[in-house]
Amino acid sequence: MRWIRALSAELDEGADMDALGGKALGLALLHRLGLRVPAGFVVTTEACRAFLRDGCLPDGLRDELAAAVSGLELATGRSFGGPRQPLAVSVRSGAGVSMPGMMSTILNLGLTTGATAGLAAETGDRAFAEDSRQRLLSSLAATTTDDAPVPDDADRQLVLAIEAVFSSWDAPRARTYRAVHDIPHDLGTAAIVQSMVFGNRDAHSGTGVAFSRDPNTGANIPYGEVLFGHQGEDVVSGASATSPLRALADREPAVWTELHGALRRIEGHYRDACYVEFTYQSGELWLLQVRPGRFVGGAAVRLATELVDERVISRHEALRRVSTEHLRHVRTPRIASYEETRVLARGVGACPGVATGRVATTPDRAVRMARDAPVVLVRPETSPHDMHGLATAAGIVTARGGPASHAAVVARAMGKPAVVGAAGLTFDPGTGAVTADGLSLDDGTFVTVDGSSGEVALGRPRIVADPAGDHLNRLLAWADEVSGDHSERSESQRLAAAHAALASRGTAPPTRGANRPWSGTHSKRRRPAGSA
Amino acid sequence: MDTPETKAPDAVLPALHALRCVGAAGTARLHEVTGLDESDLTSELIDLGAAGLVTRFPGNPPCWLLTDAGRAADAEQIAHELDSAGARGAVEVAFGRFLVLNPELLDLCGAWQLRDVGGVVSANDHRDPAYDARILDRFADLDRRLAPVCAELSAALSRFGRYRIRLAGALDRAAAGELEYVTDDLASYHTVWAELHEDLLATLGKQR
Repeated sequence: MRWIRALSAELDEGADMDALGGKALGLALLHRLGLRVPAGFVVTTEACRAFLRDGCLPDGLRDELAAAVSGLELATGRSFGGPRQPLAVSVRSGAGVSMPGMMSTILNLGLTTGATAGLAAETGDRAFAEDSRQRLLSSLAATTTDDAPVPDDADRQLVLAIEAVFSSWDAPRARTYRAVHDIPHDLGTAAIVQSMVFGNRDAHSGTGVAFSRDPNTGANIPYGEVLFGHQGEDVVSGASATSPLRALADREPAVWTELHGALRRIEGHYRDACYVEFTYQSGELWLLQVRPGRFVGGAAVRLATELVDERVISRHEALRRVSTEHLRHVRTPRIASYEETRVLARGVGACPGVATGRVATTPDRAVRMARDAPVVLVRPETSPHDMHGLATAAGIVTARGGPASHAAVVARAMGKPAVVGAAGLTFDPGTGAVTADGLSLDDGTFVTVDGSSGEVALGRPRIVADPAGDHLNRLLAWADEVSGDHSERSESQRLAAAHAALASRGTAPPTRGANRPWSGTHSKRRRPAGSA
Repeated sequence: MDTPETKAPDAVLPALHALRCVGAAGTARLHEVTGLDESDLTSELIDLGAAGLVTRFPGNPPCWLLTDAGRAADAEQIAHELDSAGARGAVEVAFGRFLVLNPELLDLCGAWQLRDVGGVVSANDHRDPAYDARILDRFADLDRRLAPVCAELSAALSRFGRYRIRLAGALDRAAAGELEYVTDDLASYHTVWAELHEDLLATLGKQR
């Protein structure tokens, strides 16, 4: 086939990496590692480029799609859009570069009226089947600009979804994002079509994201979020309140054990921390995406030194993996991880640093209370009305919004620790009172905000000013050994001298892309000259 | 004397509505927002205070805030203005187009403040003029696409005309090297944009 490749362990053999996109290569890796991945295929970036150039899918693609879908039907023993044992698929963007929130994803494709009835009959759960169909209708409608109804035909739905994913590459917002980040416009995105795994299937289903180690600290403990009984997009979009990953160990011990093993196996391959997206359906774990962990700051330092202790990488490799950029973030204070720390809510860290203060739920109260003692402004989200409260607060928490939200932009402009999108906070619409983790946070309650990890903790937990200190000292001692220079210098000078010494010995200078199967052309093009 | 109660209900009170859009503000800031003289604004604010529609918040400088009654009065006036001008449809359409551009503005503000260097995202220290110029170029491009939306809004309701002036002013100052006019200043592009967003929501009586 010219435009389509089956997802398999052999996917990338002799293939053009650019044509497949990073996500598909990650899925091929999971296959090679023997991990469970939903059957599927990838429509290449070449097809995307042809679509964007000509305004229509290229000749022959529809025939190839029909053949690929037949292959999926054979592999799964199900029938696409069929009334019995219906096959549903997901269509996701598989661009080699990450453009958060800008590329379309469509789940549950193929759930026509007939197929939905078939799914309801098969599972004995009409509510589940209908919920899944509604998600399809709303997500497909959201990607198309006209008001045409979603066709009740599985093959046409699939074509629409692929066109939507390809079109999303050229949305003005995506174009601006690429211009800002110096990503070429002509790469295009692949589209990945996979048989659906339903995280909303039953009480033993769910979805989540996991790092093999804690990306905030580098500690060797799996870290992530899980959402019981939901589909994947709910986690990534932050639309629902999630549980910490460890809740999976209590609720689904078999899934947890398998996930833990998978994370170890992937780490062994990367020789680095990793990140996965997963869904489990009726107790069976499936992996949907994988990439290296991309730890930064103190977490990168701790990870690199501990990988040396574990005899996974050499000291030289550890030095190569920590750039002087990471050192800029090593000394950001953090909430210490202790059993006694009560984390009330988790969101996205929008501006690093730690702030402790009394909760104020309106900007006016924040201004009044701040005359006596530091205040943490806690809001559903912020608008210009919150400006005086934002200006006076020591820390900021919002329940909605991401790292580009109004609150995040203002917090960074003012240099205040901030957590946004802490979906676990609920606000009483009448009184504005806020509840978190079953606790009512009255105005005046002491809380602490960690703008790196995105944690909001009760009271005044212990703060570590230098979370990676011991690890950093060891790493810098290795740096001095390599450079042979033991004079008094700044930390970044010590590290830079080691990098220079390693480079002069003919080994590569530090790179974030080492050992990565898809650190290929995209990232090389993106990286400034001299750093790759 | 011309008190708020005796004004015709269709007259939107500039200071009152400015406070609705920008939150707490002193007269210097309200002057920037409305283009009106500070003395006229002070006079209007004192009347509004007497009518219980705003309160004065002591501070340096002192600022003014809407009361719940002020918020309700403003909502009534702008709804009346919108419908008597027959502008609801046009503002709805413009708001839809604004919402398409809004995520892009936030992306750009993020890129202005944070920079990915070798996989590590750090605060943009503005020591790379080429990077900053690239972002400002994208702001200018976004602003060109916002311009017709602003024009439609001004044609529908003339009070929206101030945004075009203030947004262009912020970008001009940023381009001239006053970098705080991108995201940091109270007259920054981001702040004015957020006030326009709030104004559109208030005008159409919508929640965020």
